[in-house]
Amino acid sequence: MTTLRDRAQKPAGLRPGVLLKLFGVGFFVYLFFGFMLLPTLNTLTQIFTAQNPTTGATDPWAVIRFFLAGSMSKYLWNSVKLAVLLVITVNVVGVSLVLLTEYFDIKGANILRMGYMTTLIYGGIALGTGYLFLYDSNGIITTLLVNAFPGMNPNWFSGFRAVLFTMTFAVTSNHMLFLRNAIRGIDYNTVEAARNLGAGPLRVLWKVVFPTLLPTMFSLTIMTFITGLCAMSAPVLLGYDSINPEIVRLAGSSVADEAFPQARAALLSVILALFTIGLLTILSAYEKRGHYLSVSKTKARLVKQKIHNPVANVLAHIYAYVLFVVYMTPVVMIVIFSFQTHGAIQMKTLDFSNWTLVNYVGQQDFSYLTSRGVHRVREGAISGVFSNEATLGGIRTSFILSALAAAAACVIVVVACNYIFKRNKKGKLRKSGAVLEYSLLFPWLLPTILICYSYRIYFNSNDIWYVANQNLYYMQNVRLLIIIAYMVVKLPFSLRMIKASFYAIDTELEDAARSLGAGGLTTFLRVKLPIILPSVLAVFALNFNALFTEYDMSATFASSYGTSYAMVLQSMTREEGLYGYNVNATGRRNASTVFIMLVSGLILYLVYGIGARDLAERLARRDKWRKRWDKMKGPFVRRKAPMVKEQPNLVDIEDVVGDFVGAMR
Amino acid sequence: MIELKDIVVQFGDFTALHNIDVHVKEGEFFTFLGPSGCGKTTTLRAITGFVEPAQGSVHVAGRDITRVPIEERNIAIVFQSYALFPTMTVYDNIAFGLKIRRLKKDEIDRKVRAIAQKLDLSDEQLKKAVSQLSGGQQQRVAIARSLVNDPDIICMDEPLSNLDAKLRVQLRNELKDMQKNFGITSIYVTHDQEEALTLSDRIAVFNKGYIEQIGTPNEVYNRSATEFVCNFIGDINRLEPPLVEALRAKGLALDPAHTHYLRLERLSLGEESALADLILPGVVESREYYGLYIKYSIRLDSQLIRAIEKNDGVHIHEPGEQINVGIMARDLMRYDAQGKAVSA
Repeated sequence: MTTLRDRAQKPAGLRPGVLLKLFGVGFFVYLFFGFMLLPTLNTLTQIFTAQNPTTGATDPWAVIRFFLAGSMSKYLWNSVKLAVLLVITVNVVGVSLVLLTEYFDIKGANILRMGYMTTLIYGGIALGTGYLFLYDSNGIITTLLVNAFPGMNPNWFSGFRAVLFTMTFAVTSNHMLFLRNAIRGIDYNTVEAARNLGAGPLRVLWKVVFPTLLPTMFSLTIMTFITGLCAMSAPVLLGYDSINPEIVRLAGSSVADEAFPQARAALLSVILALFTIGLLTILSAYEKRGHYLSVSKTKARLVKQKIHNPVANVLAHIYAYVLFVVYMTPVVMIVIFSFQTHGAIQMKTLDFSNWTLVNYVGQQDFSYLTSRGVHRVREGAISGVFSNEATLGGIRTSFILSALAAAAACVIVVVACNYIFKRNKKGKLRKSGAVLEYSLLFPWLLPTILICYSYRIYFNSNDIWYVANQNLYYMQNVRLLIIIAYMVVKLPFSLRMIKASFYAIDTELEDAARSLGAGGLTTFLRVKLPIILPSVLAVFALNFNALFTEYDMSATFASSYGTSYAMVLQSMTREEGLYGYNVNATGRRNASTVFIMLVSGLILYLVYGIGARDLAERLARRDKWRKRWDKMKGPFVRRKAPMVKEQPNLVDIEDVVGDFVGAMR
Repeated sequence: MIELKDIVVQFGDFTALHNIDVHVKEGEFFTFLGPSGCGKTTTLRAITGFVEPAQGSVHVAGRDITRVPIEERNIAIVFQSYALFPTMTVYDNIAFGLKIRRLKKDEIDRKVRAIAQKLDLSDEQLKKAVSQLSGGQQQRVAIARSLVNDPDIICMDEPLSNLDAKLRVQLRNELKDMQKNFGITSIYVTHDQEEALTLSDRIAVFNKGYIEQIGTPNEVYNRSATEFVCNFIGDINRLEPPLVEALRAKGLALDPAHTHYLRLERLSLGEESALADLILPGVVESREYYGLYIKYSIRLDSQLIRAIEKNDGVHIHEPGEQINVGIMARDLMRYDAQGKAVSA
C-alpha cells in the first residue's frame, strides 16, 4: 500500500498564487474605477460645472434651468412617447406571433415561424436600411402604393410613424425567443384540467395560459421600454428627434454654436441612466417576488388548440399570413435586389434577364451625363461589398474590434466567475466574490450611449494618469477605446450567461478532481473549463454578432479611425450616384445586409446547433463519419493491420474532417 | 489506520459534529450509518479534507493530516452522483489522476486497462462518453477512477443510492468482493441499514452529530447500545405499558421504568410458539405478503404488534384467525430513561 505523500509546506509570503491573486484584484479595481466609475462620474460633474456663455463663470444649475425651460424636454418626451407606444405595439405583435405559431393550430406554422424569426439574423441598422429600401419615398412598396393610390403621400415613411413601424417588427425577436420558450413550458395538463372543469378556449387562454406568461411578458415589457427609450439607429435613419441622436449631435457640437452642448449631452445621458436604473429596479423587485412554477411531476407537452369558430379561424390565418408578408418582404426583396444591376435598383423594378454579382464582388465603370449634357465615365465607380475599399475597411474594423472585445469580455468574466464561485473554508461563497459580481454588472445600469459618451469626453485628454497620460480619443487610439467600451458594455450580459453555466457545474466534480490530486488551476483548466466552454463560445459568438453590426456606440465615438461596418452601411443611405460618386450604394447595402444575415445565421447555427452537442453526440457523429469515410475509401485503400494498442486519446485528422463535414451539414 | 480524535465541525452557529472519535483498522470496511443530516457525510468530508474541523484531528497511518490539502491526502472518493467528468471519455476519466501525477503514457494506459479489466469495463466502453453508460457502469467507472491511483483509503458516499433496487443488491455484492480483493481500507456512508449490515465489518451509527454506537453488524442489530440505534436498525415492536404489565403478571421479570423492544422475527407464531418462555393468545388483524416472508399485525391484549414468519406456503394465517404468540425473555431489549441499553 502506498504511503501518504507528505509534501513540504511552501513558505508563506509572496507565492505565485498570492501574486496572481494580487494581480487579479488590481486588475478588477483598475477596470471598475478606471473604465466604469470615473468616466461616468466625470459626465455627472459636467452637468454642474457648465460655464455661463456670457460671463464665463461656473453655473451649477444652468443646464438644469435650460432643461426646465423646455428646449431639451422635446427629446425626452419623444423618447418616452416612442417607448410607451413601442411597449404596446411590440407586445401586441409579439404575443400574437407566439400564439399563432405555438398555441393555436395555424396551417403552415413552421414556415410562419421561420418568417417571424428573420429579425434574429438581421436587425439594427441592417433592418433599418432594408425597410428604407422598401418604404422610403422612392422605395419599392411606396412606389407601388403611390401608383395604385395617386393621392398617397410618398413621404409617409419618415419620422415617428416610420420609427415605430420599424422598431415594432425589429424588437419582436425577444418575444420569439423568450415568450416562445415560456409558452412551450406550459404544462398541457393544466389546459386539459381547465377544459375538463368547464372553461371555454378563450377563458383557458385568459385564465390559465396568460398568467403563466406574465413574468416573461413583464420582463419583455421593461426591456422593450428601455430599447425604445435608448433607440438610436432607427431614429437616425428615419429622422426622429429622440434622446440618443441628440446626445451624439451635442457631443460633436461646440460652445461657439450653442450653449454648453457637452453639459446638455451629459444631462440627457444621466436622465437615460436614471430611467434605466429605475426600470431595472422594478424588474428586479418583480423577479424577486417569484414566478409561477409548474408543480407537475410529469409535464405534458402543449397540444396546439384548434380554432373551432370558422370565421375566427379564417381571420387568424389571414392575420398570420399578413404578418408573415410584413416580415418576409424586406428579406426577400433585399436578397433579390442584391443580385440586380445598378439600373434595376435605381428603377426599383426587377430585371429578370440581368442578374449580377457586382454588388458583392468586382467593379464596373459608371457613365453619366453632367448637368451641361457632357457624357462622362467614372472608372470602377460601381463596386461590390468585397471590392469597395470603404466597405471592406468597415468590415475589417468591425471584425477586429468586435472579436477582440468579445474575447476580452469572455476571458474577464470566466476568470471572475471562477473566483465568484470559490468557497471559503466554511463552505460559503465569499463576500468579495459578490462585490466583484456587482462591479461587473454595473454597466447594466448605464445606457451604452452614456458609457461611450463618457469615454469620448473623459479620455479625450492627456491628463489621465492611469492610461499613461495618453489621449485615447486621439487618432488610432480611439480603436482601443472602442474595444474597451465594447468589452465593458458586454460584461453584464456575459456574466449573466457564463455565471449560469458555472452554476450548472456539479460541485462534486471539483471535489472529485481535488481528491484525485488536481490543484485549483488544474481543476479549473481540465474539469471546469471544458464543461463551460460551449457556453463561453456561445457568449463570445453572440457578443461578436451584436458588436459586428452595432451602430450606436461607434456613432457616439464618431471617429474616422473607428468607422464601423454599421456606420458605412448608414452612410450608404445618403444620396447616391451624384457626379458618379456613391454609385450602387443601395445594391451594396443590400449585399451587405445579405452578408450580415449569413454571418448571423452561421453564428446562431454554431451556437445552437453544434455548440449544444455534448460529448456523447460528438462521439456518435464522429463514429458515423468515420464509417462513411471508411466506406468511401473502401476499395481504394488497403486495409490497415489492426493496431496492437488502442490510443483513445489521439485525435486523428479523420475525426477532425468528420466533425467539420458533420458541422457543415 | 484512520483515527478521528475529538472532531468538532461547525457551520456558523450550528454544530454538525460533536467530539467524534473513530478508529478504523487497516483493510476494514467501515460504515457510517444514520438518517439524513446526522453528520455521517460531514465526518467523511472531514477525513477527505473538504471540511475543516473546528477542533480535533484526523490521523492516517499515524500521521496528522488535519491540515494537509485535499489533493495531497491520497484518499479516493466515490461520490453519490459519481461526479464523472462529462466532457471526458471513460478512459480519460479513469486516467485523470494518473495524468495529474505525470505518469508516462504507456504506464497510464497499462494501469487504466488493468483496472478496467478488473471492473468489467470493456475496451469499447473505455472509448465512450460517460453519459453513454448505464448507472451500474458509471458506478464502476467511478470506482475504477478512484482505485487506479492506488489510494490509501477509499471513501464512498452513498454510491448505490442512484440505482434501482435490483442493481443495488447486485452491485452491493460486487463492492464487497472488490473491497476484499483490493484489501483497501474503506469508509462507506449510507442511510440504508440493510446495505450497512450486509457490507460492513463494523458500523458507526450517527444521530444528530453524535455517534450512538460503533460495533459489528451483529452487535448493532442484536445488542443496540441505545434506544435510537434499536429503533433505527431494522423493524421493531415497542411494548406499551399495559402489555408490559400483562407480561409481568405472567411472570416475566420486567422493570416498568424501562422501555422494552422486541424484533419482529423473534416472535414465534402458532405451533412454533410452543417452545417459547411465554405464550399469549392473539388475533390476526391484517397481513402483508412479501413473498419471502409474511408480516402480520396481531392484536395482543391491548396492543397491536407486528410479527414476521417465513413463507413456507402452508402456514399462512388469515385475518380474524386466533393465534398463539410466543415470546422469549432473552429477546427483549431494554433501555433506561436516558435511552441506554440495560442488561436483563
